[in-house]
Amino acid sequence: MNTEKVVMSQAVTDRIMRLHDSKLAINDKKIARHGSIDIDDHGFIDFEDFTFKAECAPDGKVHGCALIGRNLRRFLNEMPKYINPDSALATCWVGTFDRFVPLGIAEEDKPKELAETIKKYRITQAGFGAMNHLCPDMEIGLSEGWQGLLEKIRHYRKKNRPADPDFYEGEEQLALGILEWVEAHGKLAEELAEQESDPFRKKNYEEIAKINFALTKRPPETFREAVQFLAHFQSVDRTYFAGGALGALDTLLEDYFERDIAAGALTEEEAVWILASLFFNDTHYTQIGGLTPAGDREVTSRLSFVILDAMHLLHIPTNLGIRVHAPIEGQSDVAEALLRRAVEYTIADGYGVCYSLEKGIAEGFAKNGFPVELGRMRVKCGCNWVAIPGREYPLQDVTRVNMAVALHYALDDLQKDGNCSMERLWERFCAHLATMVDCIKKGYDRHYEIMQRNLPEIVLNLFMHGTIERGLNCSNGGVDILDLNIDGIALATVADSFAAIQQRVVEEEKISWDRLFTLLQTNYEGAERERLMLKNIRRFGSPESMAEEWAVRIRDYFVSLCKGSPTPKHHLMVVPGMFSHGDVYAYGRTLEATPNGRFAGEPISHSSEPDPGFARGVDTFSPALKANAVALTQAGYGNSAPLHLDIDTGLVENGGGVDALVALIHAHEQAGGTLINMNCVSKEKLLAAHEDPASYPDLVVRVTGYSAFFASLSKEYRQQIVDRFLSA
Amino acid sequence: MEGANIFNIQHFSVHDGPGVRTVVFFKGCSLHCKWCHNPESIRPEAEILWYPEKCIGCRACEVQCPMGAHSFTAGVHRIDKGKCSHCFLCCEECYADALVRVGEEKSAEEIFREIMRNKAYFDQSGGGATFSGGECMLQPKALHELLTLCRQSGIHTAVDTAGNVPWQSFETIKDLTDLFLYDLKALDPDVHRACTGAGNERILDNFKKLAEAGSNILVRIPYIPGYNDQELEGIAAFLSAWPQIKAELLPYHSLGNSKHRALQEEDLLDVTAPTKETVTQLKQKYGFL
Repeated sequence: MNTEKVVMSQAVTDRIMRLHDSKLAINDKKIARHGSIDIDDHGFIDFEDFTFKAECAPDGKVHGCALIGRNLRRFLNEMPKYINPDSALATCWVGTFDRFVPLGIAEEDKPKELAETIKKYRITQAGFGAMNHLCPDMEIGLSEGWQGLLEKIRHYRKKNRPADPDFYEGEEQLALGILEWVEAHGKLAEELAEQESDPFRKKNYEEIAKINFALTKRPPETFREAVQFLAHFQSVDRTYFAGGALGALDTLLEDYFERDIAAGALTEEEAVWILASLFFNDTHYTQIGGLTPAGDREVTSRLSFVILDAMHLLHIPTNLGIRVHAPIEGQSDVAEALLRRAVEYTIADGYGVCYSLEKGIAEGFAKNGFPVELGRMRVKCGCNWVAIPGREYPLQDVTRVNMAVALHYALDDLQKDGNCSMERLWERFCAHLATMVDCIKKGYDRHYEIMQRNLPEIVLNLFMHGTIERGLNCSNGGVDILDLNIDGIALATVADSFAAIQQRVVEEEKISWDRLFTLLQTNYEGAERERLMLKNIRRFGSPESMAEEWAVRIRDYFVSLCKGSPTPKHHLMVVPGMFSHGDVYAYGRTLEATPNGRFAGEPISHSSEPDPGFARGVDTFSPALKANAVALTQAGYGNSAPLHLDIDTGLVENGGGVDALVALIHAHEQAGGTLINMNCVSKEKLLAAHEDPASYPDLVVRVTGYSAFFASLSKEYRQQIVDRFLSA
Repeated sequence: MEGANIFNIQHFSVHDGPGVRTVVFFKGCSLHCKWCHNPESIRPEAEILWYPEKCIGCRACEVQCPMGAHSFTAGVHRIDKGKCSHCFLCCEECYADALVRVGEEKSAEEIFREIMRNKAYFDQSGGGATFSGGECMLQPKALHELLTLCRQSGIHTAVDTAGNVPWQSFETIKDLTDLFLYDLKALDPDVHRACTGAGNERILDNFKKLAEAGSNILVRIPYIPGYNDQELEGIAAFLSAWPQIKAELLPYHSLGNSKHRALQEEDLLDVTAPTKETVTQLKQKYGFL
């Protein structure tokens, strides 16, 4: 197999660079109107003048499949149509639907009985009402086409004759709306072709028109048609609740690519341009590489390399992941070459793919009682998460339990009754944490009961195995696997706090319990020495430290809470995770001072990572030290807890740099790690960009599992990356 | 179980031997190179690194110090090094990390456990453990024990040495060591003495014996403009007798200056780091890596 970089002509390279420049200009406009964007750098284009008048239910909200479907159909018809002059593809999206339409859950369907617990424990992401965070199987779409999907809906509507036609009515309205919208893009392309004098662009518009018209009648047949279909999908998917998963791009498109290349209908550099146009359209999550379900063959193909080159040449945020696994005997050269290329691009560009790790994902998933073969089918399709395309409803990344809140109330209990000991502190912490997890489980039960009639996954349902066939929303038995995630966060904050109390209060008796309570209540005011005494213990991340023991104990207890029982009413499976997203500032802002020397309002620790600056004394910071800590404290059931590596280019610019990083990635995979997000940037550049972001408009960074323009991030999010970097 | 006096364990080094390596830095050196970027490695005994910018003025050091070495005048913290008895009570009470003890005794078993935590990285990269310093060969028993433990577990080992130790020390470890990173700083004994405080006769003699014994050696040559730049040609000529032995040029950098200051050493080396172009030219000229 050819593993070389695609040979690019200047003309095509320039065209891709113009897409890059367009993206920067679009981004500047967005920042000017909307301010910082701390989530994925979504590819929407802001049309200031576009407004939409929604059709609402009597309660003033929009809910229910048919009503949403009607609104979406009209929205697609009314929204501005767009084709970038340098793109191979039509369409864009203009912002999430909820900016234009008052989507919401009916009051009577909300779990009011949980409100008090949610408020007390500051559960801002309770899982109930969460949307997207599952992966469609785009093979369904590519084989059926838009027209085929409409026929499928009608077929099963007739077959099932449901008592309530709401679900099928909504899905049908959506499919009709998409077909009309695709048709409209065909017409726009025709108009643009007529007006265009440049021969290449004229021909390009004509081709786009032809493809879009064809896709209103039949499934895609060529590589470009297939990618255009994906662009259609991701535009609609983002519009409706910011869905963001595409799946395994290389395996989805491999047949089209190979066929067109063999027939001489496509060149590799054209494929790069078409894929760059897809990445320009939106930052949907995609994966390359990995194994077949049987685990006996690597799926890496020539197209995997072509996709990687498209990301590299476009040089904008692109949420591409590479699946990394242990070598398969006799087959590993190609997968290894792909990994090395990805690392080279990470070093050269400063950011790049994220590294999704096979062992922890597949073998961890199997611990839930599924065959490991299903685990291998899970695709990196969200900022930190994986799912089986079309078959799994995992809701990762939408529920968080801030374990530091449980610790806060545990300390409160001790202060109130004066019965102070480590044993009692642990007992109270466990009790509060159990209440928090129980609350989310109950919320999930309600979610299961009411989402179909409120906010169905009207777009993603089209691409799941079972939803249309059964007439059921994917959250409500439309798919076979419901494995609902709960993320426990602030692990290092809590572990370091327990260790600090054990060392300074209990063992050394340098601070009394009463003094500790006073320090926390006064936010360490006038007590810097005592704060540092608590902070500067051997923190989590230091080998064989007391804090590390606490981290493992806390992780184990949290996992047992999640796995110990399903949801109480509907017996739905719950899976533990430990992903904080970049929300460590938001969760820290409402949290009191903690015994690890953290001031009130400061950020909590990230996922299961040690705090920045954890390494002291004999053990100086190293990526391996951090990686070992993250691998040790994975939740262990297949859901990711990422390792963030912000590496100074100085470490890796010599010849051995790529080797070292490849070794680190493989070692973390074998140790049970699940995901690595990596930035390579010089300290000078990062600090300068933090000071003056506007001067570095095309500096792209991985915030966590997603990448973004550094200049688009708020100061707090930029600070998070700078802190991580400086601690290294 | 033999203890080692160490001052640092670096868990992800890509500059001290093949692959990803864990580097254990031993404290104490028989040379005193003016450019040393690990100046805290030179003295064998534990000592204090002082970072006044981190001081929060709590004066706990002043209270704890039995010798009256710490004083605060108008809020300014001063240390009288002459009074310090190295009891380190001040460091133990300095939670701001303004006073940091450097150097601690760890058992070989303890160090080995830390090395083993990174075995997966060694396996993936062809890396291993590197024993450096200071001069790790000044603590032969601990070094021998660590090398033995590594050999028993199949961990590749490198010994980073300046060679200024009795030949007998090499004899006890050479068969347990997979690679010697052997520093040559100057060929002229007078230049060597002026730069490092010691002659190089024993260093060169040990090198010859080690090379003739067939040990795997990578020579490392610090390049310090104004100090040993006239020595590079001689070193290259000396090494031509062993064409199988490669040599690596290590250009000067100023990263050790902050540590010199923290040790309250005033006579910092006034050297400008060489440019990449100069280093590349020298490497090409002498065939260095």
